Amino acid sequence: MYLLEELSQKYKTVSIVGMAKNAGKTTALNYLIEEAMDEGIVLGITSTGRDGESTDLVTGTDKPRVFLDTDTIVSVPEKLYELADAGLEILKMTEYGSSLGRIMLCRVVTSGYVQVAGPVINASHAKMCEEMLGFGAELILIDGAIDRKSIAAPETSDAIILSTGAVLSRSMKKVIEETAHTVGTYRLPPLEDGYARELILEHLSEEQLMMIDGEEARLLNRSTGLGAGKFLDGEINENTGYIFVPGAFTQSVIADINPKKLRQVTFVLRDPTRIFIDSVSWSQLRKKGLKVQVLEGIEVAAITVNPSAPGGYAFDHEELLKGVQEAIPDIPVIDVML
Amino acid sequence: MTACNTAIAQVDLTKVKPYGDTLNDGMMELTFTLPVPFGEEGSEAAKILAKKMGLDEPNVVYSKNMTDGYTFFVVYGKCQHTVDYTTIKVTKVEVDVMDRLECGQYIKDNIGREVVIVGASTGTDAHTVGIDAIMNMKGFHGHFGLERYEGINAINMGSQVPNEVLIQKAKEVNADAILVSQTVTQKDVHIHNLTNMVELLEAEGLRDKVILVCGGPRISHELAQELGYDAGFGAHTYAEHVASFVLTEIVNRKMV
Repeated sequence: MYLLEELSQKYKTVSIVGMAKNAGKTTALNYLIEEAMDEGIVLGITSTGRDGESTDLVTGTDKPRVFLDTDTIVSVPEKLYELADAGLEILKMTEYGSSLGRIMLCRVVTSGYVQVAGPVINASHAKMCEEMLGFGAELILIDGAIDRKSIAAPETSDAIILSTGAVLSRSMKKVIEETAHTVGTYRLPPLEDGYARELILEHLSEEQLMMIDGEEARLLNRSTGLGAGKFLDGEINENTGYIFVPGAFTQSVIADINPKKLRQVTFVLRDPTRIFIDSVSWSQLRKKGLKVQVLEGIEVAAITVNPSAPGGYAFDHEELLKGVQEAIPDIPVIDVML
Repeated sequence: MTACNTAIAQVDLTKVKPYGDTLNDGMMELTFTLPVPFGEEGSEAAKILAKKMGLDEPNVVYSKNMTDGYTFFVVYGKCQHTVDYTTIKVTKVEVDVMDRLECGQYIKDNIGREVVIVGASTGTDAHTVGIDAIMNMKGFHGHFGLERYEGINAINMGSQVPNEVLIQKAKEVNADAILVSQTVTQKDVHIHNLTNMVELLEAEGLRDKVILVCGGPRISHELAQELGYDAGFGAHTYAEHVASFVLTEIVNRKMV
């Protein structure tokens, strides 16, 4: 499987996003690093948490270490610099802070193990990736933390690798369902070009809830959809076709909307990471006629599966791989433990 | 002086052991309940368990029948392990701690407007003790809470507040900082709840506009940062620690 070659041709930054903690993100990262060594691709490595430490902060389980080849560009906080077993040349001291001191951008001079960490806030990540590309990285891999999925947002990375695994549930069916749901929302249809898209883009920077009645935009002077169900219900008139929600899309956004009105409108979100509705509620809402579109979708470049969980149970490798692949036929699925 | 020399009087910080009667005797006390009937066999089970945990010469000094089939034990034993204290590194919030009055002065000198802080015990957690200790006027353990600070508008929303509601409030009052408290939770549900908060803030486009802080007995600064928070405050931290961090961060991030 030459996953990396394809990635580096198509994308500049790829995030590794976990469905849960211990889903095998770092294992997936190591898999890609190994491929990069074979292919001679210069990687940039960063993380939204901390990577490469030997035990897990939450569960106390052993964690895979990160081995980096020469020339790799990596973000390392001050306090972990001395702990690195690789030889690191400091390229730049950034302004981004972390619990372990300020983040430094380094180039690996002699290969070895490195503990990687990056900025806490996603917006800082996007800026730092630009700098890493400037230092000569051909492809940047961002390792996500815990189950934080916001790093998948198209603002931060061009594509994602979704890591899923047995840790999600003791039932393999549930693991497959939840994974397919997440991938399904990531691939929601983008809003096609036309008056609705134009109107939304025109008013995007105002960060407000917006109705589109016929071909007219109506700003609602309210910045969040959270808890706004009743309000929205009152604002929908017979001409309303679209509702733009600038922030998070949760149950409380739509809970109090009359079912008839709900069927009438299409919700438009910035991107799929704004959706906070679980798979069961989601399919119920879809049956009731909920329509959601996004301004920008998320490219899922690959899915990695990890059949064993730190809780001490495991699925059959083949069975899980086959199950996920059948549920999501058009994205490559890789078992990182094989 | 000479009296001390009867035992090994030197503390070696690279090999630290528990202290009982004499230095480095390794003596420890354990208390626990086993689901076994009260009696000789039960006590033996407790001893075997202590041995497996690495205690030499385990000794059941007390046992009591809790209810049918359950026995409570107090076990003494000598720990075989040592800890190298000199190599321990703990990441802490690095800030010069100011007291209440200094904080008030700092706001006057460097911020020049009211600082708004919203806090709550979120998710399923019904315990207000943590957030009250930091925010309520009377504070905790002789340390007054944020409500008593000059220049700070502290809004305490209480317990079992859904993340969404906390964010709505923060937006409504244009909060500078959000405090999230997690006191008692089971099976790491607080981890999921804490990351959900970060994710919602990111989705709302608010994450880089507020200072996000969490606190609780199971929270360390290191864990907080891994979860995407600006800082985490554990046991033995009070309102002045939180206030000093928030105020310094407001100035550092030019949110004045």
